[in-house]
Formats: sequence, C-alpha cells, structure tokens
Amino acid sequence: MGQIDWSPLFLSLRVAVLATALVLVLGVGLAWLLARRKFFGREFLDAVVTLPLVLPPTVLGYYLLILLGRHSALGRMYEALTGHSLVFTWQGAVVAAAMGALPLVVKTSRAALTAVDSDIENVARTLGQTEWGVFWRVTLPVARRGMIAAAILAFARSLGDFGATLMVAGNIPGRTQTAALAIYDATQAGRDNDALVLVLILSAAALLLMYATNKLVNRES
Amino acid sequence: MLRAKITKSVGQGVEEFMLDVEFEVRQGFTILFGASGSGKSTTLRAIAGILTPDAGRITIDEEIFFDAERDINVPARQRRVGYVFQNLALFPHLSARENIEFGMTGLSKADKQQRATAILTALHIAHTASRKPKEISGGEAQRVALARALSCAPKILLLDEPLSAIDEATKAGIIHDLKLINRDLRLPILYVTHSRDEAITLGERVIVMEGGRVVDDGEPLEVFRTPVSHSVARLTGVENIFTGVVLASNAVGGILKLEVQDENGACRIDIPYADVALQTRLTLAVPANDILLATQPFQAVSARNLLRGQLLSIEDHGNRTVAQVKSGVLWRVNLTRQAVEELRLSPMQEVWLAFKTHSCYRLDE
Repeated sequence: MGQIDWSPLFLSLRVAVLATALVLVLGVGLAWLLARRKFFGREFLDAVVTLPLVLPPTVLGYYLLILLGRHSALGRMYEALTGHSLVFTWQGAVVAAAMGALPLVVKTSRAALTAVDSDIENVARTLGQTEWGVFWRVTLPVARRGMIAAAILAFARSLGDFGATLMVAGNIPGRTQTAALAIYDATQAGRDNDALVLVLILSAAALLLMYATNKLVNRES
Repeated sequence: MLRAKITKSVGQGVEEFMLDVEFEVRQGFTILFGASGSGKSTTLRAIAGILTPDAGRITIDEEIFFDAERDINVPARQRRVGYVFQNLALFPHLSARENIEFGMTGLSKADKQQRATAILTALHIAHTASRKPKEISGGEAQRVALARALSCAPKILLLDEPLSAIDEATKAGIIHDLKLINRDLRLPILYVTHSRDEAITLGERVIVMEGGRVVDDGEPLEVFRTPVSHSVARLTGVENIFTGVVLASNAVGGILKLEVQDENGACRIDIPYADVALQTRLTLAVPANDILLATQPFQAVSARNLLRGQLLSIEDHGNRTVAQVKSGVLWRVNLTRQAVEELRLSPMQEVWLAFKTHSCYRLDE
C-alpha cells in the first residue's frame, strides 16, 4: 500500500467551507425574498432555484460553464478582477459545489424564515428598525437553528459534489481534484485501498453532519 | 391628538373586507370596541404603518403619518408608535431587559440600562430582567410587552386586546398600572377589546366598530346604556332585544304601548313616547342591569312595566348571575349571588319583574 495522498481531502474541505459561505449568502437572500416578498414570477424563481436538486449534475455543470466561461459577461468580469478564468480552477469547484447546495439552503432557510412570526418583525419596525436591522437583529437570530441546519446541509452537500465540479473545475490532481473525484480516479486505477479510506472518511463526515442537523431540527420542533 | 381616516380593502374574493373608518383619539384611553373581524386590528396596523391604507389620512398633532392625496407615508420605524400586539410578539431570543432596550435608539449603553431598569421597576417586573420570554408568566410577558412599547417614548400607544389571555387577578393589576401610565404620560391610548367590563373600567371614550365601520362613538357608559343600533346593542352585550308593534300612543302621558315578541310568545310594555304611527314596528333594548326581580308582587311603584313570570334558570357568569324569566317573552335579569341566596331563588318559581319606561331604548334598524 502506497502513501495516501491527502491533498484531495484538504481541497474538499476548503471548497466546502467556501462554498457554504457563498451559498449561505445567496441562498438565505433568495429564501428571504421567496418567504417575505410577493412579486411576479416568485414561484418560477422557486422552481429555478430547485433545479440543481433534480437536474443531472452534468447539466448543472454545463450551465455553469456557459455562465462562467470565457465568453460570458460574468466570466470576463471575474477574469478582469482576478487575472485568471474561473473554469478549471479550485475556485470554479467552489461555485459548482455552491450551486449544487443552493436548493437545500433555500428550502431549509425559507422554511425557517416562514416560521418566524411576522408580528415580531412588525414590532421591530415600530421600534425604529430599518428592514436590514429587522433582518439582522430579529429574523435571523430567531431563525438561527434553521440557518445552522441549512449551513450544515450545504457543507455536507459541498463536501461530496462530483458531477458539476468535474464539468467546471476538471479533475486535475493537486489542483482541482477533490476527494469525490479522487475516489473515482483511485477506483479506476485499481487503488482500492485509497478509495476505501476516502469513502469511509466522507461517509463518516456526512453521517455526523446529518445526525447533527436532525438533532438541531428536532430540538426546534 | 390622533386623527385617522382610513380606507383599506383587505383580502380577496369572498374574504374581501372593506375597512372604512374615521375617528379621533384624544389623550387618555379610547376603547376600540367590536367583535372579532370588525377591523379593529387592521385599523391599529394602519396607524402603526405596518399596513398601507388605500386612501385616507392619518395625523398625530401636527405630524402627518399618512396622506394618500399628498403621497406621504412615513415608515413604521419613524412613527414612534408604541404597539402591544395581541400575541405580544416578544423577541424570543432576547431577555426581558433586552426586549425593552431594543426600542431605545440613540442612547448610550448606560442610559439604556438605566431607563430599562426604571421601566422594569415601574411595571413590577424587575425580577424578570434576565429571563427569556418563555421563562416568564403570561402576566409578566404582558407587562414586558407594555414596557417595550413605552421604551421608545411613543407619541401614541396602541394596545390590541392586551388582557385577553390572562386571569382576572393579574388583569386587575395591569389595569391599575395602565391607569397610572395614563395619568403620568397623558398619551393618546387606543385600546382594542371586546370586553365590555374592560371598556367601562378603562375607557374615557369608546368607538364601536362593526363590519369595518364605526357604528357608535361616545362615553362607554352612555354607549353601553343607550345603544343607538341593534348591532351596537348586540355587540355591547345588551341582553334583552325585542321587536314589537305600537298598539297605543299617549303623548300627554309620555308613553307608547308596545307589544314585543320573540319565539316564546308576546308581552305588552310601556316605552317612552315618540311620534310614530300605530302598528309601526320598533326594535327595543332593555339592559339586564335595569330590571328588578321580586318574589312578591310590586306595590305602589313608579315603574310602568310590572310583569309576572316564571323563573326558568339561574346562570353564574363570574361576577354576575343571570336569571332567565319567561313572561310572554324571555327576559334576562342581572342579579348578584347574594340576592339569589337571600331571595332563595330556584327554577320554576313565580317571580315579578319591574323596569322603568326609560329603561327601554329604541334601536335604529
């Protein structure tokens, strides 16, 4: 048995942490919009946000390539800011993992936000808070358990992303090869032991995270 | 003084509800009285700026909160309206003290603490300061919500059925404190309730709402004693409401003879004179508090309405006891428990009722 390369695992952790941060900002914002604002196309937006849950990961990856590639406005903007393309970088893997986790975050935090009594927010308004203040000082703290659950789910989901990551970031050992991709490589190359170790670590992490989420959600109800 | 003219359509389709009210609230307690669904809470929300009226104008003293014509709509956060919601809506993640300090803006931390302590002490809830809302009793939570509403130095206080969920003893204590607050601050206080007792205890003025409209307005005792319409009489809990036809008219004697009817039968009574034709149909209210009950016939009394009847039941309603007496129609009479005991009243026994002509109020249909 050769020395196991741990770098995919560390990359996965880094990607998952950053993807969680990214998707929380985006997902909680969308959830607030869906839970608290009435606007034309709300249900359509909800459906679009849910798509990553049901689309083949390769399709999600394909869309992201189009959206973030060199020929897109977003892609060019990113390149102008950072000096390199998002595609085939670990940062691309962050975006891919975040998009995969988006439906989980939006669904979970929307439910948590909807459960917040709107009169609590109204009281805060009568006590001088701006909409932003109401959100930060009242809505978010009251819905904190749901938010933490959403973050854990996002982290767990990001840790294991495969298809979209492969499409957007590729599978470059030492650069964009996450644990999920390394397992695939190891299995293909017959390094079953390497694969098994990573499989067990990812499984244990996922189990622990799901258990924590359930504890949190059940304590709330 | 608050002046409000509010028009607002709420809901859609069969549930659509039209609020269309106009009233003033001076310093002191004004009771907004009505059944649930009459638009009381919607009115409060519009005043607080949580809900935007379709049309109208809301001002307090010289300040305009809302003016549809001039396109003015001051946001809730700038109105300084102290609002106690029906469900209290305490911040569950904050302690009682933090709930109260929440509304104090532009003060130093020390000043906030000092003011919160003063309010907590004044409302007898200093011991709850560090507790979360779920760790305190209903009465204490009520006081915290009140303290929080006062903490923002409000220009007006809106109280939405603040005492509906607490026991009588606690209620009496809070009513006492509310009276002290009223005496000290002399704010306009708009107090929503459907309890007649609360309205009479607290109110300097009562506004009666039904179906999104103001149907009566005046001093509580006046409004409750002489309701102007059938709906107000029913809402304010006048117990004896009948329809009848005019049988005879005596302008000199100052009376109309009326035959009133209900599903039990008919009964002839005298009511104050009015210039109406014979056979006119009238609706009449006789407050249960205005009827005397005796176990022997009345003799040589001035009251024009002396009825013999049969006592059907005696029901205990907390601080009052209601006797139901059949004398042609079914009469409800308020008694004390002491009277029931001393007269040794029991169902099916023969009793006599007496009430004055002027205890009969004609209602507008």
